[in-house]
Amino acid sequence: MKRLLVATFALCAALNATSQDKAQLEKARAEGKASFYANITAVEPIMKAFTADTGVKGEYTRISTTKFVATAITEFEAGKFMADVVQGPVPVLEILKQKGVLASYRSPAAKGYPDWATKDDQIMLFGIEYVGLIYNKERVKPADVPTRYEDLALPKWKDKIVMANPANHATTIAWLVALNENVFKDDAKWRGFLAGLAANKPMFVSSFGPTPAPIESGEKLIGISMPKYIVTKSPAPLDWARGAQPLMGTPRAIGISAKAPHPAAARAFVDYWLSAKSMGILAKDVGEYVLAPGVFPPIDGIDKAKVIPIRELSDEETQKWGAEFKKIFDVKK
Amino acid sequence: MNQPRAAKLTWLLIAIVGALTVFPVLMLVLGSFSEGLTAFGVFTLDKYVDAYTDPALAEVMLNTVIFVIGASVLSTVLAVFLAYLNTRTDIPFKFLFGILSVIPMMIPHLLFSVSWALLLNPSNGLLNLGLKEVFGLEEAPLDIYSMWGMILVEGLLDMPIAYLIIAPAMASFDVALEESSRVSGASAWKTLFRITLPVLRPAILAAFILGIVRSLASFAVPSVIGMPGRVPVLATHLYEMIATGFATDYGKAAAVGMSVLAASVTLIVVYRALTAESEKFVTIAGRGFKTTVIELGAARMPLFALVGVLSFVLIVLPVAVLAYTSFMPYSMVPSARAFSMMTLKHWRDVLGDPISILALKNSLFLAVVGATLGVVLSVFVAYVIVKVKTRAAGILDSLSYLSFSFPGIVIGVGFMWFFVQTPLYSTIWALLLGYIATYLPYGIRPMSSAFVQIHSHLEESSLVCGASPLTTLKRIIVPLLIPGIVSGWILLASMFVRELTLSVVLSRPGTEVLAVQILRFSEDGLWGKLSALGIVMIAITTALVVLATWVGSRFKTA
Repeated sequence: MKRLLVATFALCAALNATSQDKAQLEKARAEGKASFYANITAVEPIMKAFTADTGVKGEYTRISTTKFVATAITEFEAGKFMADVVQGPVPVLEILKQKGVLASYRSPAAKGYPDWATKDDQIMLFGIEYVGLIYNKERVKPADVPTRYEDLALPKWKDKIVMANPANHATTIAWLVALNENVFKDDAKWRGFLAGLAANKPMFVSSFGPTPAPIESGEKLIGISMPKYIVTKSPAPLDWARGAQPLMGTPRAIGISAKAPHPAAARAFVDYWLSAKSMGILAKDVGEYVLAPGVFPPIDGIDKAKVIPIRELSDEETQKWGAEFKKIFDVKK
Repeated sequence: MNQPRAAKLTWLLIAIVGALTVFPVLMLVLGSFSEGLTAFGVFTLDKYVDAYTDPALAEVMLNTVIFVIGASVLSTVLAVFLAYLNTRTDIPFKFLFGILSVIPMMIPHLLFSVSWALLLNPSNGLLNLGLKEVFGLEEAPLDIYSMWGMILVEGLLDMPIAYLIIAPAMASFDVALEESSRVSGASAWKTLFRITLPVLRPAILAAFILGIVRSLASFAVPSVIGMPGRVPVLATHLYEMIATGFATDYGKAAAVGMSVLAASVTLIVVYRALTAESEKFVTIAGRGFKTTVIELGAARMPLFALVGVLSFVLIVLPVAVLAYTSFMPYSMVPSARAFSMMTLKHWRDVLGDPISILALKNSLFLAVVGATLGVVLSVFVAYVIVKVKTRAAGILDSLSYLSFSFPGIVIGVGFMWFFVQTPLYSTIWALLLGYIATYLPYGIRPMSSAFVQIHSHLEESSLVCGASPLTTLKRIIVPLLIPGIVSGWILLASMFVRELTLSVVLSRPGTEVLAVQILRFSEDGLWGKLSALGIVMIAITTALVVLATWVGSRFKTA
């Protein structure tokens, strides 16, 4: 009898949830579209799939990270914030949260995500912008491939490394700091590694985007870059250096606008975004490391890698460490 | 034109140009004195204190001065040389060289810089590999990632602007002046340095100053070449200010931008002082004028070869690198294997991408409509600046430079802060107005250089004969201005096709433009797609240049 009652209750709850989902989707369709502000590569397939599967038009506005906060806050304060959903690095969404730009929403689609990814009801985490050592597999012999981050400081890599400018590229700054906190755990050793890396005179570029091209062409042999380029730049001869140490990166986050012009469509979009189908597209087409359970990018060995989120630095910390790295790496000649 | 009418026209133009250029800069001024991240906040001087007490600023400023002066000298010298040969001499294949001279302007600056890095990087740059092979060198002889590399690439990028300002002035140069000099016994060189170049001083100075202002605002070269070479200049300093952290403070960047604005306005004042006695530069008066072709004689073929080699190395080679990259599956040094792997994938992706096609249509619309409106406004503004020499005309001149002078990395945000207060925000009209406001000097300068050389006797004779000012403008002035109008239109249209700084902030779904698509590909490191779209961009601009030149020549012969 007890079992029957539980089953009946569960069935009612499921039917209720389904009818709620349907009602929300109907509302979303009536609203017509969901506007998505983000800076993420090649999400058009997800936007297309969302439109096809829900009947709600997904509209993507790409805004570069350096202009994201300025644009969102300017529009919000002028009463013209057009985004229903925003996506970006956690510090960006934290700033928007402080300014009252975000609304609370717990998506049922986040079921199965790690607890640390869903603890905030305004900022949901769905991926890690993972960073690793990427090398040219035609130019670097297997025996020479680094197995530890420390190997990058060996003199054999002099003038053969490319990386984003550690004086101002926020993600690289956070990653270098995280190396100390998660890998070296010893300030002197970490500083020794930085000095060795700096002595190898890496070529600096403005962000991760320009890092793979010099490796592909052979201008440089190895770089501090993102394994996702193995997917997006296929068939370029790129591979990632495997080792026991973890891959690290800043978490990617998504949230709903407090003044979303299409609130039901916004919720429908976030549910869709966090679903295994969308995350599968993101992993397969763009090589992203996502938090949906059991979904991995098609990169050999990445499903066995330990990928961890790193601590987000405040702007003050980022600037402090940027200035420090500028000295260590002698950023001006 | 009588004085009250001229004054009315001047103030009307000040109102129009002021409305276009003052508000975004005003927003940046407010932002630089406000706490917080937007234009409106509690008054503070902290941003100025922070920005100007940075110990790195002195070295950055010194590098910046060397970079902008070097690039501007190079672009102006090259432009004078090419314009002289193309407009005044019997060098063969003139039309082709004319087009080649303006090609660097059509290429997105980012791509042009990357092409040069592929040619001259010290690890495997193609030219370096060739030089090592030929001379048996151990190390690469040239390193593009240096100050001279930055000057070279920026100088080449700014050369078309200088060319399009100097060439019309050269074209409308009355050769009788040179003939008088030669008859009086002066040599060809002496005539060039004592007559030709001094008479062209307004155009040369205008080109030089525009070059300085443009290289001050440039970001592609400092980023692609200066950053790996560890040569910080103002643009990369501003980028560092903006990029280090997430709560980007554009007000602080605007505070640094104010000194660029002050430098630009000073340059304009100096320019006006140096060309104040504009009667000295008049070469087309009422007594008849002619331009004749100077025969190069024995120097014809050597000079042709020199210009040919220059064009090949400086222009054709980088474009060829671009074309090559668009067919490569990934970045590869040319080899038999690389050629065997050529693919049309990037072309199919780009031409099959609906957003890229929409961006192409929008850019074409903005180029044609924007350049046409910009040229109409520029004709009136240039007329007032050159012919109505009042203090108000000076104000108009300075106003036209306001948005243009601000570093590109910041001015877009000024426009966003302004347009968000209006119903135009996120429409294509915001882009159109922003483009015209920012690039107005490109329309005005070639027109001013041409106006300077037209004597007021022509206008006065028309008025005396009973023609209205509008008829005089239409029947007398405009036909003589055709080279300037064509140059201005070409400059504006090609700027608008590849405009990035405003577009990246103002474009929204439905108003995507080519340069923003290219930036997206660049951010994702997709150089093949980026090159394919870049070539589409060059093709469109070339078509517009050929069309404008053809229409211009029809008017001339009509």
